[in-house]
Amino acid sequence: MTIDPVPLELIDDPGLKERLDQAQEIQTPDPLFLQIMAHVPSYAKAVFDAMYRSHVLGNVDHKLKEIIRIQLARLAKDTYFANLRSAKARQAGLTEEMIEAGCGDFENDEGFSKAEKWALRYAYLMFRERNRVDKTFYDEGKTLYSEAEIMELGAFIAFHYGLQVFMRTLQAFPAQDRDGNPVSQEESAALYGTTV
Amino acid sequence: MTEELIDEGIENYEKSTRFSDAEKIALRYSEWMATAPERIDAAFYGALKKHYSVAEIVELGSYIGFNVGYHTFFGTLDFYPMFTPDGRLVSQEESRRVYGDRPVSHLKGAVQRAASDNDAE
Repeated sequence: MTIDPVPLELIDDPGLKERLDQAQEIQTPDPLFLQIMAHVPSYAKAVFDAMYRSHVLGNVDHKLKEIIRIQLARLAKDTYFANLRSAKARQAGLTEEMIEAGCGDFENDEGFSKAEKWALRYAYLMFRERNRVDKTFYDEGKTLYSEAEIMELGAFIAFHYGLQVFMRTLQAFPAQDRDGNPVSQEESAALYGTTV
Repeated sequence: MTEELIDEGIENYEKSTRFSDAEKIALRYSEWMATAPERIDAAFYGALKKHYSVAEIVELGSYIGFNVGYHTFFGTLDFYPMFTPDGRLVSQEESRRVYGDRPVSHLKGAVQRAASDNDAE
């Protein structure tokens, strides 16, 4: 990693400790992200809260946002976020097969509704062909989602992609394996692979 | 802060004599994050650490990442500032006319268009 994480035993800010517990529970991000951001505690809390609110809370289905998050992380080539999985999404029934379908040829996949396809397309186009995210595109979106939901999706996509681009440059990997066991960065790189 | 300095920082920072080495690497960090993140490697972070603390680098990096994401999203919403460069409240149509359809230097038209509108009023 290019930035050393702050050791857990050196984090004594009560607000950060509370968020470390949240991260341990949701697993996306896992505590490693907060340990990196903990170099700037005020940023760590604000950024984590924004990530949590935009990803876990809101009116748009969390499983759909989780697929979008992974799709974006792969575009950003971020080995950290691309390999994390939301515990809440898994508990709600999200599978690796559904993730692969959403990150692949979702347009022709019968497993997604018209509304879900629009949301996946929104994420797909935002950083690849943003000129196609125009008024016509948004008008179609408004037949499927409320404006509040569209803003929720758009802000979620923007925020997470931007942070994933930053995390990509840190060359980090998840701090745990898929069973929740702590692993070193070297073990994690071997486990998840260096390409996403 | 002037419009000339903003333009210099965006278009000519590498060769400019107006920015310190520390400022140049921060501007390079931002440019590459948006356009060539693969160039931001361990060697680059090593160079950053000569000028900035780890806390400052995390601050810069997350700030830049946040902005990379948000400016792309906001660009798709097709809206414009509420105020002209000289501080007048204007409609979205008027703002589009003053600032233009693409984000360019304010010295390439926006300031003059706003000033001519003000004179006309």
